[in-house]
Amino acid sequence: MPTRLTETAGAALLSATLVLMPVCALADAITIVLGAEPTTLDPHAADDGAEKAVNDNVFETLMARDVDGNLVPGLATGEPVQIDETTWEFTIPAGLTFHNGEPLDAAAIVHSVERMIDPDLNSEQLSYFSTLAGAEAVDATTVRILTDGPDPILPARMYYFMIVPPVASEAEDFASNPVGSGPYEFVSWDRGNEIVLAADPDWRGEAPDVTEVTYRFIEESGTRMAALMAGEVDLITNLLPEFTDQVPASASMRGLEHPTVILNTNGGITADKRVRQALNLAVDKEALASALFEGQAQVEQGQLLGTTYFGFNEEVGPYPYDPERAKALLEEAGAAGGDITLVGTSGRWLKDREVTEVVAGYWSAVGLNVDVQIFEFDEYLQRLFDKENRADAIFVVSGNELLDADRSFSAYYAPSGFGSSNSFEELETWITQARSETDPEARQALYEQAVEFAHEEAILTFLLNINNVYGLSERLDWQPRVDGKMFVSTMTVD
Amino acid sequence: MGRYILAKLWQGVIVVLSVVVVVFILTRLVGDPVRVMLPLEATQEQRDQFEAQLGLDRPIGVQFVDYVSDVAVLDFGESLWQRRPVMEIIVERAPATLLLTFAAIGLAVALAVPLGVVAALRPEGVVDRIVVLISLIGLSIPQFWLGLLFIVFFALTLGWLPTSGSGTPAHIILPALTLAIPAMTRLVMVVRSTMIDELNAQYVRVLRVKGLSPWRVIAVHALKNSAVPIVTLAGWELIRALSGYTVVVESVFAWPGLGLTAIQAIERQDLILLQAIVFLTAIMVVALNLLLDILAKAFDPRIDLRAS
Repeated sequence: MPTRLTETAGAALLSATLVLMPVCALADAITIVLGAEPTTLDPHAADDGAEKAVNDNVFETLMARDVDGNLVPGLATGEPVQIDETTWEFTIPAGLTFHNGEPLDAAAIVHSVERMIDPDLNSEQLSYFSTLAGAEAVDATTVRILTDGPDPILPARMYYFMIVPPVASEAEDFASNPVGSGPYEFVSWDRGNEIVLAADPDWRGEAPDVTEVTYRFIEESGTRMAALMAGEVDLITNLLPEFTDQVPASASMRGLEHPTVILNTNGGITADKRVRQALNLAVDKEALASALFEGQAQVEQGQLLGTTYFGFNEEVGPYPYDPERAKALLEEAGAAGGDITLVGTSGRWLKDREVTEVVAGYWSAVGLNVDVQIFEFDEYLQRLFDKENRADAIFVVSGNELLDADRSFSAYYAPSGFGSSNSFEELETWITQARSETDPEARQALYEQAVEFAHEEAILTFLLNINNVYGLSERLDWQPRVDGKMFVSTMTVD
Repeated sequence: MGRYILAKLWQGVIVVLSVVVVVFILTRLVGDPVRVMLPLEATQEQRDQFEAQLGLDRPIGVQFVDYVSDVAVLDFGESLWQRRPVMEIIVERAPATLLLTFAAIGLAVALAVPLGVVAALRPEGVVDRIVVLISLIGLSIPQFWLGLLFIVFFALTLGWLPTSGSGTPAHIILPALTLAIPAMTRLVMVVRSTMIDELNAQYVRVLRVKGLSPWRVIAVHALKNSAVPIVTLAGWELIRALSGYTVVVESVFAWPGLGLTAIQAIERQDLILLQAIVFLTAIMVVALNLLLDILAKAFDPRIDLRAS
């Protein structure tokens, strides 16, 4: 009997160990909280940050960016070669596969391009890929991507363009069961609750430290923070800057959002350049960054670009805070005590209403009579898109996912842009030329010219570049990136 | 009774149809989903193409006729935001909301009846004053804040319960409690006042004189006679929770129900999804109302259903 008992105990111990082993492996599992649930996991369908946050780990792109935002090869073996004005040739390594075993070859890239521009897909991302005309495979590892005109931004676009497997992506359930080629493969999606990814043990690159990642979705920022403080999760996005001291750890990096105010150069009080310059001089950007954003924002360098975006002009800097000169300029222009309308919205962007009101406060302080009008987002958009009846000043946040001047400048600098309030033909000319200028140096020169001109003319009130702020658990170590991407393979746990 | 139910059903159909029309018009008036959904930088051409693909460029009359004929066969169309059938989303989310609201109202009733009865035994007594005070506090606290307070206390300080989410039975406790407390406080006041009336009624004195035990008088006779207002109010609390309060509570606790989905649909101008949620909520409200009327009749046969 005693022997039987020992045997039984031994077996129990052994099975307990076996049961415990997977639990130990789970020590490298982390949980990330997103502010919203992805609506789809089809990487081509939606313009949805939550979908990107998950799929950035599942899918790969031909080009990539380093932590600071510099464009580097991703899947591609090197920089693309330009065959002619509208043809770019990419080379990929041989023998790549997707998680389901489908080959990741030139044909898969051709398929991905054709799928994205297929009108039936009706992708929300088309504004990033509108220049794509098609693609052709040269051989198994060489692919040519065609554009409908010269497009110097194509390499940057390819950093945003996910490669999908030809067979799986045509399956009915691709949007809920995505198959990619990245370091993590899709495991499950319990709608409303969580998405789980696991490290692909056969992935060609270095094995990541985190073996499993679970995404949860909490819209309410207070609840998100509580989940982190309770130790339920390891990483939360969009931590409010004022709470960085209360969470176990936090990390931040300058992000892609640039709050600014568009000034109407065509009419009203802002038609005078001196008034527009005064509106820039009147605002204390440093104070805005430290008081409203707890230092989690940088003063904008007198242009709607981050320092690592293509087109950044190093010679141009911020307008200093000089309320006295602002008053003098307003006096000179005969605009002292004048009326100015400032349009903004609330709840769309981080502290949008607060920034608008603080800017209005600074303008009042130099003697202007500011009429702040805050609208619900859709009503606000109607005013932002209305090119006929332009408000004197419109608050907006410019985002630039491609990290290239074209996107921001086409929108807010060029007179034809949806959000611009000026009619400077030279800006239109330079920006249009730059859009099809394939020589990087000539293109850079055009943007530098535009930056300098727009700064001197003060077509905007340049404000800030906001940081992305994350809350981290004690055990998670991670360096956030300029582009806001959360690559789990770059995270480590103690 | 049969004729009465038919009449009520007919009224319900009219209510639901009016809701269909009003929701359709309102959602089309308030905004443009294409404007909100595409990136700011999208060109007019891309916007037009997107709009056409969604069928939103058709004349509003045509859209309405299509909508009504689809709804008639319970086809609510495809969500603009999630790009899948609306019905699929509702079937996925409704159980969570129903579970939460029924748990919350059940809890509210289970707490409110004993508290109200105990308070009614000695009006103006110490217990009564405490119950009334608690009710007033519960009524005055915004639900949103109450939810956060619970999270801080039970999840952060004590560490007993998860902060948010769903999946295990422990997850429902805090949201259900948050949803239950304001309902409970309103119910307590009703139980208390009807019980005070009943306990002062002639028949109660007669029963007491006859020598029935006080608990039997309260539990069997007085409480049964108070049932109509209590059940009606509990029903109303259920309707209020289903059609509104869940939005707040589900947002705070990231509870994946219809309330959270409704607020997300509004943020994203997903009018197809929104009108389906409103339509189904209207049906639930009408059905619950009908059920309440029938229950009231069952409890108190004196109620003349035709007159109401």
